[in-house]
Amino acid sequence: MTTDELERLLAQQPLGVLHRLARGRVHRHFRAGKRRLIELLLRHSAENRAGFESDLLALISEREARPAIQPVRHQRSERPKTSQPGHRLHSAQHEPDHHEPAASLAAWLEGIGVPLPQPFVPDPWQEDALAKLQSGDVIVSVPTGSGKTYVAVEAARRAMDENRTVIYTSPLKALSNTKYTEFCRIFGADRVGILTGDRRDNGQAPLLIMTTEILRNLLYDAAGGEIDVRLDTLGLVILDESQYLADPERGVVWEETIIFCPTQARLLLLSASIGNPHDIADWLTSIRSTPCHLIKHSKRTVPLRAGYLHPDGKLTPLFRTIGIPYGHPVHLHPEAKRLFARYEDETMPSGRRR
Amino acid sequence: MPPSIHPVDLIIALRQKHLTPAIVFLTSRRACDEAMESFEHTQSFLPPARQEMIGKVLRAVIDQYPSIAEHPLIPTVQRIGVAAHHAGHLPSWKIAVEELMRNGCLDAVFATTTLAAGVDFPARTVVITQSSIRKARDFTDLTIGEVQQIAGRAGRRGKDLVGFAIVTPSPYIDLTVLTKGLTGHPEAINSQFVISYPMVLNLLKAHPLDQIQPILAKSFAQFQLNQRAEVLERKLDELHRQLEPYGPRVCTDWISQWQLFDHVRRQRTHRTPVRRNEPPEVAARFHFLTPGRVAGLSKSRGVVLRQYRSKGQKSPMVTLLRHGGAITECPAAIVTEVFDHMLDCAEAPVYPWCTPESIESMLRDLEELPPRLPVLPILVPKDELIPDSIVQTLGDFSCPTCPSRSACQKDHAHASKLRQEQHRHTKAIQALRTSLWHRFQEKIDALQRFGYLSPTAHLTDTGEWARLIRIDHSLLITELVRADAFTGASPALLAAVMSSIAHDDDRPGAFPRISTGLASLLAQVRKLAESLSPYEDPPLLRADIAAITEQWIGDPTLTWIGLCKKTTMAEGDIYRLLARTLEFLSQLHTLRDTHPALADCASQAIAILRRGVLEELP
Ligand SMILES: Nc1ncnc2c1ncn2[C@@H]1O[C@H](COP(=O)(O)OP(=O)(O)OP(=O)(O)O)[C@@H](O)[C@H]1O
Ligand SMILES: [Mg+2]
Repeated sequence: MTTDELERLLAQQPLGVLHRLARGRVHRHFRAGKRRLIELLLRHSAENRAGFESDLLALISEREARPAIQPVRHQRSERPKTSQPGHRLHSAQHEPDHHEPAASLAAWLEGIGVPLPQPFVPDPWQEDALAKLQSGDVIVSVPTGSGKTYVAVEAARRAMDENRTVIYTSPLKALSNTKYTEFCRIFGADRVGILTGDRRDNGQAPLLIMTTEILRNLLYDAAGGEIDVRLDTLGLVILDESQYLADPERGVVWEETIIFCPTQARLLLLSASIGNPHDIADWLTSIRSTPCHLIKHSKRTVPLRAGYLHPDGKLTPLFRTIGIPYGHPVHLHPEAKRLFARYEDETMPSGRRR
Repeated sequence: MPPSIHPVDLIIALRQKHLTPAIVFLTSRRACDEAMESFEHTQSFLPPARQEMIGKVLRAVIDQYPSIAEHPLIPTVQRIGVAAHHAGHLPSWKIAVEELMRNGCLDAVFATTTLAAGVDFPARTVVITQSSIRKARDFTDLTIGEVQQIAGRAGRRGKDLVGFAIVTPSPYIDLTVLTKGLTGHPEAINSQFVISYPMVLNLLKAHPLDQIQPILAKSFAQFQLNQRAEVLERKLDELHRQLEPYGPRVCTDWISQWQLFDHVRRQRTHRTPVRRNEPPEVAARFHFLTPGRVAGLSKSRGVVLRQYRSKGQKSPMVTLLRHGGAITECPAAIVTEVFDHMLDCAEAPVYPWCTPESIESMLRDLEELPPRLPVLPILVPKDELIPDSIVQTLGDFSCPTCPSRSACQKDHAHASKLRQEQHRHTKAIQALRTSLWHRFQEKIDALQRFGYLSPTAHLTDTGEWARLIRIDHSLLITELVRADAFTGASPALLAAVMSSIAHDDDRPGAFPRISTGLASLLAQVRKLAESLSPYEDPPLLRADIAAITEQWIGDPTLTWIGLCKKTTMAEGDIYRLLARTLEFLSQLHTLRDTHPALADCASQAIAILRRGVLEELP
């Protein structure tokens, strides 16, 4: 595509598409008008024209493929300030699926409490992850708070039992420190070490905790011929919070770490729920010597309910159902809908008040 | 009705419904601090037993981290059972709050969404008050994944039968973002692969140039580019199929033939009427001469305020703001270069086409622009006009009398559209397959220009040590080392400069003054950074930030409290600044073999820097 063609194609797109394209590319893109936005996008595209063009084409074909969704998208991109709650409320009432009465607050609040203490039994997915690690790399993508740490701890224990070194990385120093304390409690302080840029506490321990950047640097050094930590005995690398792969500034470090991870070491990626864990698994399988298994589920262990609290202190369920109606964002509770519409009316900037 | 619920009322409501402990995510640190202040005067104290329990947990943490012994929030935490936890706090304070929460001592924690990422910090209830967060100085809507990370903190395994995510509105909340986030499927994640100078140096240290492409091909970036290329390839196959009926006719390549014929035919009829008399370069450039664009003129520079076409001749014109403030109307042709640089221009509908403030700020920016600016690469379309010689030979086309003429005429539009698409896809696929490699080569070029790589892409002696600097702004740092900028500098000066390179936040504040030595060194650094700007974005290089580090290292008797008093920066921010400086210094320390004096200076700075609060955690 020539720059002219590109510019013309951009000009034909609705503003929403341009904003999506501008995400991560253009600072403050929400403030720019269409013409300025096109200008900024063109300027940015010089950096990686191919990527830019194919993003654009992907967005266009996505729009073409789903014309039915478009109106919804449109509505979403409006700020609530400028939308008309009254109108939205009305149209939503014609939604099908509203046979059952909306949940009452009492029913919604029912069941709060503390479960009886139970002996620890690993979940089937936890067992599965550990078993799969015997035959290859594993990526675990499960909701927050499911128990990924248990998988990390058990996998580390097994590798250490075979006299192999284990490296555990997290994206944040704060998290590394928490895990350091936790792992010291589990394995004993003499078996756990922590590495930072300028400090090395118990660097000879079989379980080493560090940030992903530090591990990447170790791998650089090893590739350059300067073996530092015992990478030859490295048996397991655990990358916690590996959804950081998509972090605009630091994501590249996760990619490098995975690319340069020694072949004899198993990789265990722990991630919160993401949309395409299959892609990550396929990617790993395509570049590593052993297949990568995907362990994934999206069911929360502790069920979650959503509520709406009005500034006057009135609490109501947010959705018509007691639980969260996955896949049905419009099934709002009538009371929540009414109160929020009132809120929007009342906080409308002066001058726009109806 | 107040725009959002009062924190005290919020906690009362949650307690009443047994929805505590709760994490309340607020929009800003200040909102968290204000929430804490609003509890100072409430009388709803915790029963003495719980107060005692909080005291006990706190004492245990203080034993380990004495720096928080005098924390101003402790009385409120202990009396009311609520706490705040955000990036403005010291790590040790955050650990204390996390520990209290884990022990079930608190009813609520006011936090910012930074907490959502990866801290093990669950509760029964999560209260959400916002639908967008500040990312890189801009507010963006929360993604589905982020909403689920935030809401997912609710409901502790083994401690709760159910968890609650409660939305309470504040101005600027968009309920649809949250309902979609709660009910939706998280977004696919995408590669953010960027090729940096240290990456190139380290790869070339370990592998010869001809092995690099296969390594880049292992990235998730390339995996995803391939996925896109495959989609295009399928489309290409489909196009190929659609083009089958349009195979060879009387001419093998009848599509091009007809196109040329048709084009010539049209041009002949339109050849005489007014043609815009503008060279293709001017026409191509004109698109980019939009308000705010910095343009190069023969002797100076200007900023475009508007573009238009003149009345009679319709020739391309621009209104330019020049050095000194003159506003002139000129033909677009006087622009010799279009720079890849825009200034913020608040457009206005009448002369001078933008707001007076924006003129002022643009003038200031214009004066401060570095001498070298990247030029925007602009493609000049060739063959706009078919040469007269071909037009003359219209008679030579056999099309008018060809038997397939009517078929060609009928099919041409569709067939040529298909073929154009085919070309577009083929080009796009090629670009997808090679873009990483091209980006890598661009970096090689730059590194060769600076002498880190030999013409055969091997590491030079300089490259050998430069590859050990693996942080942001690595080029600036290695160039500073090469320029001997730090020779004779004290540890305090070295650390101060490093922190001004490391710090990337532009939050304003009041800070201590800097020494003249530091001021002149910083000026030197700034000059170098600007000259490197075509190759690496310059850091903020804030002098006020450097001053904080200079004082901390320059005066080893300075206490943490003493340092905090010298600035309006939050404790947590000062801590992060110094911790990041430490990282940068420890990279300089790795140069001990080639630059012993510098490495020694860096390790002295590290030793002084790590004291008090900065010694508490690894
Ligand atoms: N099989 C199990 N049975 C009961 N409780 C469990 C089980 N596995 C883990 N837990 C508990 O679940 C809680 C959350 O676990 P963990 O911190 O590992 O979650 P996570 O998946 O790492 O979450 P995050 O996304 O926040 O990192 C812990 O208190 C842990 O003890
Ligand atoms: Mg975890």
